[in-house]
Amino acid sequence: MALSLPIRFGLRSKLLLLSTFLFSIPWFGYQYVWEMEKYLRYGQEQTLVGTARALATTLHDRPNLFNSHASFLPSVEQGRDLYGYQLKNPIRLDGQYRDWPNFTSRGHEYGQDHLLYQQKTSPSGEALTMAFKTTLGKYDKYLYLFFNVTDDKVVYRDKNMINLNRNDHLELAFVDQAGKFSRYLVSNKKPGWLDTYRITDLDNNIPVVTPQIQGQWLTTDQGYNIELRVPLSMVGDKIAFAVHDVDKEQGKVTHTVGSADPRFAKTLGTVLVPSPEIERIVRSMRYTNSSIWVVDQHHRVLATAGDIRQAAGVWHKKSAGSEDTSWWRGLEQKWLIPLYYMVLTRPPSDFIDQLYDASNLTGKHIVGALKGAATSQWRLTQDQQAVILSAAYPIFINNQVQGAVIVEETTNGIRTLRNRALEKLFSSILAIMLLGAVAFFLFASRISSRIRTLRNQAEQAIDEHGRIKQALPPSNTNDEIGDLSRSFTTAVNRLSQYNHYLENMSSRLSHELRTPIAVVRTSLENLSMQTMPESASAYIDRAQSGITRLNLILTNMSEATRIEQMLHTTDKMDFDFIQVLKGCVQGYQQIYPNISFDFTVSESLKTVNFLGSPEHIAQLLDKVVANAVEFTQDNQVKLAISEEKSQLVLTISNNGELLPQQMQERLFDSMVSVRSSKRQEQPHLGLGLYIARLICEFHQGKISASNHHEPDGVTVTISLPLSTKG
Amino acid sequence: MSKRIAIVEDEAAIRENYADVLRTQGYQVQTYENRETATAAFNLRLPHLVILDIGLEQEYDGGFTLCQWLRTLSKTLPIIFLTARDNDFDTVSGLRMGADDYLTKDISLPHLSARIAALFRRQDALDQPTQQEHMLVSGPLSIDSQRMTIAWQQQTVDLTVTEFWMVFALAKHPGHVKNRQQLMQDSKIYVDDSTITSHIKRIRKKFMRIDSEFDCIETVYGMGYRWNEPQQTGKEQTGAEES
Repeated sequence: MALSLPIRFGLRSKLLLLSTFLFSIPWFGYQYVWEMEKYLRYGQEQTLVGTARALATTLHDRPNLFNSHASFLPSVEQGRDLYGYQLKNPIRLDGQYRDWPNFTSRGHEYGQDHLLYQQKTSPSGEALTMAFKTTLGKYDKYLYLFFNVTDDKVVYRDKNMINLNRNDHLELAFVDQAGKFSRYLVSNKKPGWLDTYRITDLDNNIPVVTPQIQGQWLTTDQGYNIELRVPLSMVGDKIAFAVHDVDKEQGKVTHTVGSADPRFAKTLGTVLVPSPEIERIVRSMRYTNSSIWVVDQHHRVLATAGDIRQAAGVWHKKSAGSEDTSWWRGLEQKWLIPLYYMVLTRPPSDFIDQLYDASNLTGKHIVGALKGAATSQWRLTQDQQAVILSAAYPIFINNQVQGAVIVEETTNGIRTLRNRALEKLFSSILAIMLLGAVAFFLFASRISSRIRTLRNQAEQAIDEHGRIKQALPPSNTNDEIGDLSRSFTTAVNRLSQYNHYLENMSSRLSHELRTPIAVVRTSLENLSMQTMPESASAYIDRAQSGITRLNLILTNMSEATRIEQMLHTTDKMDFDFIQVLKGCVQGYQQIYPNISFDFTVSESLKTVNFLGSPEHIAQLLDKVVANAVEFTQDNQVKLAISEEKSQLVLTISNNGELLPQQMQERLFDSMVSVRSSKRQEQPHLGLGLYIARLICEFHQGKISASNHHEPDGVTVTISLPLSTKG
Repeated sequence: MSKRIAIVEDEAAIRENYADVLRTQGYQVQTYENRETATAAFNLRLPHLVILDIGLEQEYDGGFTLCQWLRTLSKTLPIIFLTARDNDFDTVSGLRMGADDYLTKDISLPHLSARIAALFRRQDALDQPTQQEHMLVSGPLSIDSQRMTIAWQQQTVDLTVTEFWMVFALAKHPGHVKNRQQLMQDSKIYVDDSTITSHIKRIRKKFMRIDSEFDCIETVYGMGYRWNEPQQTGKEQTGAEES
């Protein structure tokens, strides 16, 4: 019924195989945690939208927050309407843009498109040889400006020159908070600290040195850099600047490129610097662990709070876990956590997100919010390290969308939470699986060892001849294997009883038959004493010879059982094995005068001290020799004794009929005879060799018969272990 | 006055056959089929010889019980066990209980009667003075064939009739090997080889109870047994050796 596999799977390996289903538990756990994360994300999204709405609510219908800025303009023009970045670090006025964050990407290029003036005298209209890149920033109470001017020829003011505009110079124009319009010129005689002059509203039209505007002029390979700062008090929300290019010493301005015409207040562009009022409101939200942006309708940032790198959401708990130094913690940190993070990913604390240029936030959610709908979106950071959740909520002023609140968080909090959950899950699953596997293994080992014990006991209980060697001890365990063991025990016991019955058959038979035979015999004998007619005595004689034969059979039968009984009570003694053997052979020579016995003792054996029963050894030899004599055809019986591996090996061989193949094993069993029927003048029950085997086994020896060839015959080999003291 | 023999045997056919034979030989025979009737009869009057079966009707060891009881009544009453049970254990038990012989039912009637006659003869001979012509003396061994007694170093060896005949057969021709067949013939029993072996063992033990250095009965392996004259050398035995 079982499949015959080339490899044998034991019970233990099968159970182990089944126990691998334990490994599906971590998969289910993992799926569950993923599901949980999904809901957490959904919750985070709701929270985030809520935060955005809350913040937007505080900003609704407060037009004064937006008034001073260009937020109400219907449109803003890139380059003319400027945005002052909120700088996070102080700027060193050294003419280098190293300390400006992202200057190359944030700086706005001014060139042909922003040409304000071109010298008309030039017949061909000389090509523009100057361009510049500018960025604005706000730090503390100053507005910082940086100009990176590319100019093929830098012309400085002659040191004797009074005119300020006969050289390369920068013009700035502001309308301050009070609405006062001012123009300034930066016109240097040499690279270095700026020479700044105010040129509007002057009594005598003489420019006034303006030390409030400070900065550095630096000549570069391409042209020059101007880095300067203006106190915010001098700057309102209108600004313009222009760079005038002069290509000849004391020449006229050939080109002017700028953000807007700086000459009149009304032509100035706007500048937006992040609003302190809004910032104050927003900053109150910074404890929400979110990154918050407030933008106007032109996508320009009015205020920010929080850093996206720290904005891990409300789920993020800063508890690093109590610093216990238990072995478990050590084991977890040293082995388990690294193992888990081969599968898990740790949320990055340092990722790069440069999607937003503060001057112009983009994104569907912002567009959506500025159209009046609260939206949220998920996106990856640019380096694909983190997932950012953004929620945008519109700010209404007089039912008009004037801006939007954008709240951003990373999912790091959730991921940390998820990782924490997975770590715990893995740890417990690992423990469960380990315990489970060990338990399974022990269980399987126990069962298989019990079954193996049972198998060994069953194998040992019955020998190859089907005889019961020993009783099977019943198991006390109250389970199926115990039941099996007990069934085996019962079966073996019954078999043993049956065997016992069979083994005692001959003795009981002989005992039971003896009485009726005695009846017949005594009757016959009585009869023979009577005077009988002559014809009757012949019948009496025949009857008596029949009885004699029956008696012989009974005697043979009882001999076997008597031997068994006697061997139980026989004490072993030391005797000279060779001596006994020689005596026996001499005896056989007398008993069987026409058989020649050839007895060979191997040279190493002079005397052999053997522990056993010499009478029985002689009897054993009697039986085997009688057998050999009976079957010999050339009237020769060879006996040989030698010592092999501390075993006495005695062989008795005769030439004659071969043993049938299947009889070689069974020859020494009770009541087995291979005599052909014509030899049966004498009753023979096949007990002789059985007795021989009993005696052999009493001496812990073995007896076997095998055929030999050329000439054909049978060799009986008796091997007896020599006692250690021999 | 003819001898009275009691047969206690539950098998009617055998009982009557034995009784018939013995009656023809001039004995008075009473038969009993179980222990109760036998006990009742023996309480009134003891016979001169008792033949007992061991298993009596329901009693598996009824014969043994009866034998023990009889021995308490008389120390000298000849008792023969005649039974189908031939194992060593029963034989030893029977002889220990004081039976004079233990025979199996294989024995032929002439042999049985010869044994009964021998027992009576021994019984009678014990009452008469020792007659020298029946004495066989060899070294420390003296055999009285009349009384069927054997003495070793002038101490009586307590042998059964069977054992006596075996020793007698061996000692009559010292140095000659008697094989088992001959021993069986001489002792008028018919048993298998191993029974002879155990008889010889018992005889040796009985001698060794008197003389722990007794080794006159030698096993000639493959042939049989031989009576060896005790060695004259070594320490002097009693003066009986020279007599």
